[in-house]
Amino acid sequence: MHETVFYVAAVWMTGLLATGVVLVIRARSTMVRILALDTVTLVLIAVLILLAAARRTSYYLDAALILALLSFASTIAAARFESEGKVLS
Amino acid sequence: MNLSLDALAPWIADALVLLGVTVMTIGMYGIYRMPDLYTRLHAASKSAFLGVISLAVASMFAGEAAITERAILIGALLLLTTPVSAHVIARAAYLDGQRDAPAETMMAESNERGTRPVRSPMPD
Repeated sequence: MHETVFYVAAVWMTGLLATGVVLVIRARSTMVRILALDTVTLVLIAVLILLAAARRTSYYLDAALILALLSFASTIAAARFESEGKVLS
Repeated sequence: MNLSLDALAPWIADALVLLGVTVMTIGMYGIYRMPDLYTRLHAASKSAFLGVISLAVASMFAGEAAITERAILIGALLLLTTPVSAHVIARAAYLDGQRDAPAETMMAESNERGTRPVRSPMPD
């Protein structure tokens, strides 16, 4: 891809990350906070994929894969703990 | 203009990156503006996920086999786990007692704008 598009997309997604963090802080209920954290992790995965595509190395994608797995597991654990009191019922 | 795939690949990757970033921006804005948790889940799970998939497809145009394999793997994993996460959050919120935002909040907005409030098409 061209360099200009890479820079614009990287800066814009950093702004999206900041917006997500502000949403996490300003949320009024815990469920919205969990949802916003999941979305922040998704944006982070997108930033890593963009970097991997621009620099043509595959190492950032390994980190993105691990982040996807971790966000999935932690979202489920946090939501179940918040509603039922225990994670594995 | 050279129309072979080698020459068009950077432009297609550009377009996919911009599309993905736009869709993710719309998703974030939806989370900010939606009135309650269930509609926010719609915005977050669908839009953010589609943005990441579009960026993963854009990264396949980089030309390395290792990147393509891992991008397909990330796409498949997100395809399988994003609906499960959304369902678990919705179920946890329902068991906690959260229900939809009352219709008065949405009717109040349309009253401010000067239009007639819309009754829901679903039977009560």
